[in-house]
Amino acid sequence: MLIRHLLKIALIGFVSFNSLSASAEATIGKPAPAFSGAAADGSTVNLSALKGKTVVLEWTNHDCPYVKKHYESGNIPSLQKEATAKGIVWLQVITSAPGSQGNVDGKTAIQINAYNNAKPTNTLLDADGKIGKAYEAQTTPHIFIINPQGVLVYKGGIDSIASTNKNDISRAENYVKAAFSDLAAGKPVAKSSTKPYGCSVKYSS
Amino acid sequence: MMTATARYFFRVIQIGVVTLLLGYSAGHAFAASSVADTEHVRAELIASVDKVYPGAEIELGINERIIPHWHTYWQNSGDSGEPTTIQWTLPRGVNAGEIQWPIPKRFSIGPVTNYGYEHEVTLLSAVKVPANAVIGGVFPIHAKVGWLVCNEICIPETVELNLNLPIVAKGSATGKGSPLIEKARKTLPQVSPWSASVEYQQHQLLLRISGNASLNTQANDLYFYPLQWGRILHNVVQTPSVDGNTLVLKLKPGEAPVKPSENLSGVLVVSENRGGEQVATGYVINAAISAASSPIINLTAEANESANLGLPAALLLALLGGVILNLMPCVFPVLSIKALSLLSHVHQEPLQTRLHGLAYTLGILVSFSLLAGLLIALKAGGAQIGWGFQFQSPVFVLVVAYLMFGVGLSLSGVFTIGNSVVGVGSSLAQRSGYSGSFFTGVLATIVATPCTAPFMGAALGYALAQSPVVLLSVFLSLGLGLALPYLLLSSWPYLQRWLPRPGVWMERVKQGLAFPMYLAAVWLIWVLAQQRGANAIAVALGGMVAIAFAAWLYGITRNSKTSTRHGSTAIAVIAVLIALTGGYAGVLANPANAKLSNAKLKNEIAATKSQNWEPYSSEKLQSLLAQGKPVFLNFTAAWCISCLANERVTLSDSKVIAAFKNSGITYLKGDWTNQDVQITQFLKEFGRSGVPLYVAYPANRKDGKAVKPVVLPQILTPEIVVNAVKL
Repeated sequence: MLIRHLLKIALIGFVSFNSLSASAEATIGKPAPAFSGAAADGSTVNLSALKGKTVVLEWTNHDCPYVKKHYESGNIPSLQKEATAKGIVWLQVITSAPGSQGNVDGKTAIQINAYNNAKPTNTLLDADGKIGKAYEAQTTPHIFIINPQGVLVYKGGIDSIASTNKNDISRAENYVKAAFSDLAAGKPVAKSSTKPYGCSVKYSS
Repeated sequence: MMTATARYFFRVIQIGVVTLLLGYSAGHAFAASSVADTEHVRAELIASVDKVYPGAEIELGINERIIPHWHTYWQNSGDSGEPTTIQWTLPRGVNAGEIQWPIPKRFSIGPVTNYGYEHEVTLLSAVKVPANAVIGGVFPIHAKVGWLVCNEICIPETVELNLNLPIVAKGSATGKGSPLIEKARKTLPQVSPWSASVEYQQHQLLLRISGNASLNTQANDLYFYPLQWGRILHNVVQTPSVDGNTLVLKLKPGEAPVKPSENLSGVLVVSENRGGEQVATGYVINAAISAASSPIINLTAEANESANLGLPAALLLALLGGVILNLMPCVFPVLSIKALSLLSHVHQEPLQTRLHGLAYTLGILVSFSLLAGLLIALKAGGAQIGWGFQFQSPVFVLVVAYLMFGVGLSLSGVFTIGNSVVGVGSSLAQRSGYSGSFFTGVLATIVATPCTAPFMGAALGYALAQSPVVLLSVFLSLGLGLALPYLLLSSWPYLQRWLPRPGVWMERVKQGLAFPMYLAAVWLIWVLAQQRGANAIAVALGGMVAIAFAAWLYGITRNSKTSTRHGSTAIAVIAVLIALTGGYAGVLANPANAKLSNAKLKNEIAATKSQNWEPYSSEKLQSLLAQGKPVFLNFTAAWCISCLANERVTLSDSKVIAAFKNSGITYLKGDWTNQDVQITQFLKEFGRSGVPLYVAYPANRKDGKAVKPVVLPQILTPEIVVNAVKL
């Protein structure tokens, strides 16, 4: 009897904890979850230090066929160039747990970007999944855009056609590009939440 | 040891080679085969037949056998992944139907939840062979199938499959085809036997599945798979709970939540342990969003009002409603007849008078228990019903019309029956006739059902959502209320002194009361016309002539010789039987034709210039509310007297029409004359089980916020409506 009661209390505690952590989720129009994490170049990136700049978070896994589609075609690298040229901070996030697909050390991450001719501002190494879970990143790629005020203004896919086929890129609506131009025009992002597509993020549990 | 970079490049080269090989093999080696293997999946193109004939409708399937621990995806792949795609290449003019997706499973890795299949799955598509296919030739089928197969990692794979089916003459053997097709059919979701609705409540989305007579809520696993991405959060636990006979699944709205004008579609999968084996059954769910609970307009308080009504309050309201029912136009003639018969008993023993009162009460109570029993049984069967539901059956309407007509004939003196079935035909001075009193009670109940008296709505709405015992007690309380005035009158001699003395005038009044009965019959025939069209009127009127003939024949031969009397009684019985069976067959026949004439009728109504209302649909209501426009809702039925009275007297009043016009209100009218699950659901939201229901939705405030809708009383006056609209 007592044990059952304790279990119940534990369960209620668990549920309410869950809902609490869920309320801290990444919601459009709300402050983006804060984070601080190790980067591929050995530095530490703190989101709060980037206030005043637009920040893009891009979940990635270099072996995922969806990621390859956008890197081998040059789609994401050119978006990165376009963004950083405008002063936007573009952060790749690698959440793949140790031993799982896409998990690399900082040096390898930099080499892969060099191979892909990709120039993000930096790459966050999130093998313990802390940042991934805070943002509830689900796929690679999965894109989040945070405005200079630190508010989340976009979450979702890179574009509108979920496939691994490179030929679809030109036919798809590029949501990230659209978000950039909305932000540049001082307008709210029209399509602020879209369906992300890709491989699942390889969390540790 | 290789460096990471070298390993990476090696991997790239390796994959490139594999891709080349695969591309080569897909293009050549397997081009003519119905089977193709990849590293993770063996795919086979199968058909429901071995041969086809011109015009045959067949099913094609893509069978995927997936290596252990890997999975492919459902039509909504969940948080990541991609559904299997099939590109068919078929002879010119032939199109394959959409993929029929078997019920999925869910796979969770960390916070990512996916919907898909492991081990084996067969995706079916229907295809029709063209009628001009040449016998002796082949029907070539080519499919390019692409899937994403994942365990921890994901691999996109593509194969090309071919199958040639010989074309034979129609009638020759076509073979059994692949047994996998039949196996796959068994894994498809079924049509749901339940009704479903969704409701936003704070940050949750409640999916209600009701009438779940056979839904095992104790099943090991209950899970709702949404058809579209973003409708709900896939990775949140769906907590089931049971509320009466309704299963409630708590869902969390996702990134693309259901909008007021949309439905939440998906598959409810129930997994049960049957004899040590897990059996999963899927049901297609298409849940309309509750009008009362859209994310824009929250008015749950209003809807819950009657649901929260306690039993004592419900019993009291039912009793009051029953008393008032006596004054309703449908019951009043019957009651007057009863009151007259009371006069004739006045000078009898008080005991006898009292017994008559009790017999009448008993008649009402027995009928109400039968009605309650029927409701309970139908509810258990999952039917969406409410007060007055029996009038949604055209046969019932016809029988009651005949009954009214028969009673009218009897009152007019065309015939009298000894201890008349309805107790009114008997000479009013007749001493005995407790059975007559009993059946008057039954009659009063039958004619009372289309009327909803004030107070009754809330009580019945409450009762219908409760256990059978509560439902029965509320119904009995209602019946007691209906019987009460007469019961008091008959058992309280003091009251009787106020009644006038009996005399010849009673006979005149009795005859006069025949006319309300004829009018009632006319009204019911009109109801029938709404339900079943013009042909039904002819059938019903023909039946009435047969009944009149029977009554007349019976009446004139009453005092004849025994043989003549028996002969004519037999003929009369046959005439009545003809009226009933002919009416039954005539009314049920040709529903399509009826629909046509019904539509025509509606068109005619719509064509009249004075119409200031539009037909109700939940989509229309939602879109109006979403725009913040004011709406007046009227739920009515042709057989509902109170509804018609309100429409004729109040809602057609020039003041009301002007008020509607001035406030720019849209007047929507929902017709519940025939079964309509949508409307029944809506009534339920407001704790009602029957019509009428009047709801005024005011326009949004200036700050754009929605104002709570107002439920108006069931008896309307122009003032009530005008004031409600002004708000």
